[in-house]
Amino acid sequence: MVDSVDKMKERQARFKVRPVARNAALTVAVVAGAFSAVVATLLIANYVQIRLAAPLDAPALIELRQEIIKSPAATPELVEQIETLDLLARKAYLTSQGHIRTGVWLLVAGAAVFLAALRLAAAFKPRVPLPDAAPARESFWQARRNARRLIGGAGAAFAAAAFLAAWFTDLRIPTASLAPPRFIAPAPQVTPPDWETVQQNWPSFRGPGSYGVAWHTTAPSEWDAASGKNIKWKVEIPLPGRNSPVVWGNRVFLTGATENQRELFAFDADTGQTVWRFMPDGVPGAAPPQLAEDTGYAPSTMVAHGSQVFAIFPTGDVVGCGYDGNLFWQKNLGLPDNYYGHSSSLLAYGNLLLVQYDQAKGGKLIALDIYDGHEVWSARRQYISWSSPACIPSPFGPQLILNSEKNVDAYDPVSGKLLWQVKCLDGDVAPSPAYGGGRIFVANEYVTATALILGGTEDAPSAQVAWEWDEALPDVSSPVGDGLYFYVATSMGYVVCLEAASGKTMWHQEFEEGFYSSPVVVGDRVFVSDKAGVTHVFKTGREFVLVADSDLGEPIFATPAFLDKRIYIRTEKQLWCVAAQDDS
Amino acid sequence: MRKSLAAMAVVAGALVAFQGQAEFRFPMPEFESGYEYPPMNTPQASRIPVPIDVSVLTVALGLTTYAVLVARSRRLVFVLSVASLVYFGFYRQGCVCPVGSVQNVFEMLLGRSTGLPVVVVFFFLLPLVFALYFGRVFCGAVCPLGAAQEMCAVYPVQVPRAVESVLGLVPYAYLGLAGLAVATGSGYLICRYDPFVGFFRRGGSFSMLMVGGALLVVGIFIARPYCRYLCPYGVLLRWASRFSKWHASVTPAECTQCRLCEDACPYAAIIYPTPANAPVSRREGARKLGILLAATPLIIAAGGLAGYGLSNTLARLHPTVRLAERLGAEETGRAADGTPIKVSLEVETFQAGQKTADELYAEAGAAASQFKPLAVVFGAFLGLVVSGRLLRLSVVRQRKDYEADRASCLSCARCFDYCPVEKKG
Amino acid sequence: MDSKFGRRDFIRIAATAAACGAGFAAVRANMSAWAWQLDPSKCMQCGRCATECVLDPSAVKCVHSFQICGYCDLCSGFLVQGAKVRDTGAENELCPVGALKRQFIEEPFYQYTSDETLCIGCGKCVKGCGAFGNGSLYLQCKQDLCSGCNECAIARNCPAKAWERVPIGLPYLLKTRTAPGGENPA
Repeated sequence: MVDSVDKMKERQARFKVRPVARNAALTVAVVAGAFSAVVATLLIANYVQIRLAAPLDAPALIELRQEIIKSPAATPELVEQIETLDLLARKAYLTSQGHIRTGVWLLVAGAAVFLAALRLAAAFKPRVPLPDAAPARESFWQARRNARRLIGGAGAAFAAAAFLAAWFTDLRIPTASLAPPRFIAPAPQVTPPDWETVQQNWPSFRGPGSYGVAWHTTAPSEWDAASGKNIKWKVEIPLPGRNSPVVWGNRVFLTGATENQRELFAFDADTGQTVWRFMPDGVPGAAPPQLAEDTGYAPSTMVAHGSQVFAIFPTGDVVGCGYDGNLFWQKNLGLPDNYYGHSSSLLAYGNLLLVQYDQAKGGKLIALDIYDGHEVWSARRQYISWSSPACIPSPFGPQLILNSEKNVDAYDPVSGKLLWQVKCLDGDVAPSPAYGGGRIFVANEYVTATALILGGTEDAPSAQVAWEWDEALPDVSSPVGDGLYFYVATSMGYVVCLEAASGKTMWHQEFEEGFYSSPVVVGDRVFVSDKAGVTHVFKTGREFVLVADSDLGEPIFATPAFLDKRIYIRTEKQLWCVAAQDDS
Repeated sequence: MRKSLAAMAVVAGALVAFQGQAEFRFPMPEFESGYEYPPMNTPQASRIPVPIDVSVLTVALGLTTYAVLVARSRRLVFVLSVASLVYFGFYRQGCVCPVGSVQNVFEMLLGRSTGLPVVVVFFFLLPLVFALYFGRVFCGAVCPLGAAQEMCAVYPVQVPRAVESVLGLVPYAYLGLAGLAVATGSGYLICRYDPFVGFFRRGGSFSMLMVGGALLVVGIFIARPYCRYLCPYGVLLRWASRFSKWHASVTPAECTQCRLCEDACPYAAIIYPTPANAPVSRREGARKLGILLAATPLIIAAGGLAGYGLSNTLARLHPTVRLAERLGAEETGRAADGTPIKVSLEVETFQAGQKTADELYAEAGAAASQFKPLAVVFGAFLGLVVSGRLLRLSVVRQRKDYEADRASCLSCARCFDYCPVEKKG
Repeated sequence: MDSKFGRRDFIRIAATAAACGAGFAAVRANMSAWAWQLDPSKCMQCGRCATECVLDPSAVKCVHSFQICGYCDLCSGFLVQGAKVRDTGAENELCPVGALKRQFIEEPFYQYTSDETLCIGCGKCVKGCGAFGNGSLYLQCKQDLCSGCNECAIARNCPAKAWERVPIGLPYLLKTRTAPGGENPA
């Protein structure tokens, strides 16, 4: 170890302690460090506040916005309140963003100064390499032995941890879906009812075939809730819903639901007594759907089919019960991608339950087996809709007519094959098709109503546009045809009669209240119920002849069921039975 | 020309794949006032051209090599470090980086890659090639993560060698874990848990920013904690650097065993000369080594077994497995005791899709089962690493000089000033 | 140290040769970089694009395909559902930061543009436009803002798996009247 004197001096200079400079550097370091710490704390606080408080989603703001939507008109005070709060929220958000940006640069600068000053302080008091004064260190061999032991220990700890992990960790992946179709027992394979039997009941939305024509023509025209005239009974429905009552044999069926509850109800047709109630609880996959207020939680009408009844809910749950309320099967079709909520009603044909499962993406027409619910066939559909299928006894064989956002489609009810398709609709289609005299009539707001004439052959049926019309259009209520004329009732209160052959307007009437319920042809009369609870009965034909106005006093959204000398009407909260009082 | 052809192909493909959407409700307006559609703002991504990136990296590596091996100047290394921090760190925002490139390269080697960009290949290979000849010069003044920590290493504390030895195993585990994640398609762990990239791009996950900050603060006292105890690329650099022809040495000429450099290295990378007083005889030592050698397959097997035991826990790295577990818990819409629960967004999205729950469970089962053999490999790898280190600690190589440990020396040039020996000539 | 050609030299040369070979192969293959992009046909406007991006504000912004827009007075992407008045009052706007601007063109058409300096990529306007309108407003990752992370944090957390890697030359998945996703500016 021979150093030249110069080298020694150089080294001494290199390792010289400079206390003044060092203190200065340390002071700067402390100040910069404190500054950085403060900025860092502020940044963290700002970040936490923004993420937690989320000024743009402040509950006060959300509440005010909802209030303004619910109120019929926007009062200036409310508007000013919301605008001030919104401006504050936006300012808070944008300034906090700005603060974070500046804060980051300040932090970087502060940290840089801090570290530089610290380094300088360290440089001004360098550690002189004096190995003898170095702290006692473990010996070379000891260090190695310790290292080996430590590694061995770490390895053993790792192995122990792995053992514990193996013991206690079980991947919770089910082998099969926990939400399989709930299957009690297949329903007994009795022959499904034929068209004759179906017609004599009211099995689905808008009657047999779901196109709004009643088979029984003996229903009374007049009734009055206030005086009790022709009111046989009324009963309160425990859960709300806008679906229509269906009738089979001696029972009336409907469903009701709230966000957390769903039930099927069966009432005695003569007395109104509740025969049974069934809650399809624990239906798997029942995630809460997106719904519009008008849809409600039970918008789809049931279908009654001989010894079985079926219901569907906007969660995608389908239930198949027996006539006596015993459950056979239930399954979930998958949460529908439907922003207003699935509202298409069910239809049954032979041994198939038909579900118009239209969605924004991936919609289908599904045919389920009525006995055990398995899927028999499904047909892909392109567009969304809120209308219900109709099964029409066309001259070319039975056809399923479905509306969608753009098209009217016809399918073969047994195989699901698409028979024909006509593009003539647009907008949010909720009204269902009307049928009469070999023509189909569809209408929706914002588009021209179209009548299609059926043609082709039995093997290759087709349809063509016969005429179009756009004077008064419905958005909820479905039109109806009696063979010679089509009748349209709109939400604005218009009722129009159109000649089926030509599309000429025969007459139109304006009523005080609008119509959600669909008109029904009962023999030579048409019944249509408005939103205030008044049912207007008028004659079919080229002239408007009012037969009677009957008031139930409660809003009617559902379409009534027409049986022999009886009508079953569902109002907002009750189920009514209307029957001519001179009959028992 | 190529671009528009490609665009046409894309459009054609999209037209073919077009499914009816429930959009386009309203018809296109017909303007009468001569209104013209405003242009859409679709800026192109700017990436630094590959030749520039690669050249800058090569120059940086070259300059560091010069600074460490030829000029032997700590000051120059420090300046280069700062420059790398500014350029590779704050300007290039720490991405593309060689540390994460390991994953992309491994992915390509397994055949799971959708395409490995050229720049990543070079960023992976160049530091390794330099390490093969000149030691870990990349770590010295080029790696931005290292540079950030280097700035903070002001009052380094000497970590006991035994502790250093054990903690030095963690990068191997991290590398194995990252490789496992890539092999099973579970994502890029190294990128996800990069503690310093959040500072470079001035934005990141809150927890990683906190971890990064903590590491930097700790780094004031325990120098370069990420480099020594976490960096997975460091494992590869260690292997390459062991074969280096020229390496940073403490002394410019001959070591005089003056002991002045014993405290010089903050990274415990200086190997001391072997003392004479071995505690066991050579024969005894050889016997013990023999036992260790015989035990090595057992250690590897034990590691494999441990890996197998961990396979279920590790399977949760995979997003499909996590989704399937979530779906299993939320599918019925009710908790175990029957109370209704709010389904999470992931489950809600899944249920609105086309896949059935059974299909997802099958996929997740398959994904989880592929973890079993891979976790065994991972565990065996760890076992191999552990036994390798134990063997290294049991083999004595007689040294009489103070040398830089080729594997762990980060070429930071701090020790040069401590050595009084003068360079010849 | 001996200067003979030893084992180490051999390993070094071999490894270097392998590295050079890999380098050449990479250059020959000329694999280009890629970028991250959101497929608007899969997007379900969950809002995570605004919160998951490592950058704040997010690199995801609302873009407007004007050719698809209906230019409606009652714009469901601009106005909240149930807005009483069709004006630019804050109580009627869906956009929480007021980035969507409305401008009268001619009867009955209004132009809607998104101000990128304000937009946070929350997707509320996209949701409204897609549900009741033409779907001309949608989210895209802006490539001049995007960091191009190896593992995109948004892509990892997207519940609809709508994010994908696209070639850097054609980094946008734009909608047109005929193709809902996959068209790039020429």
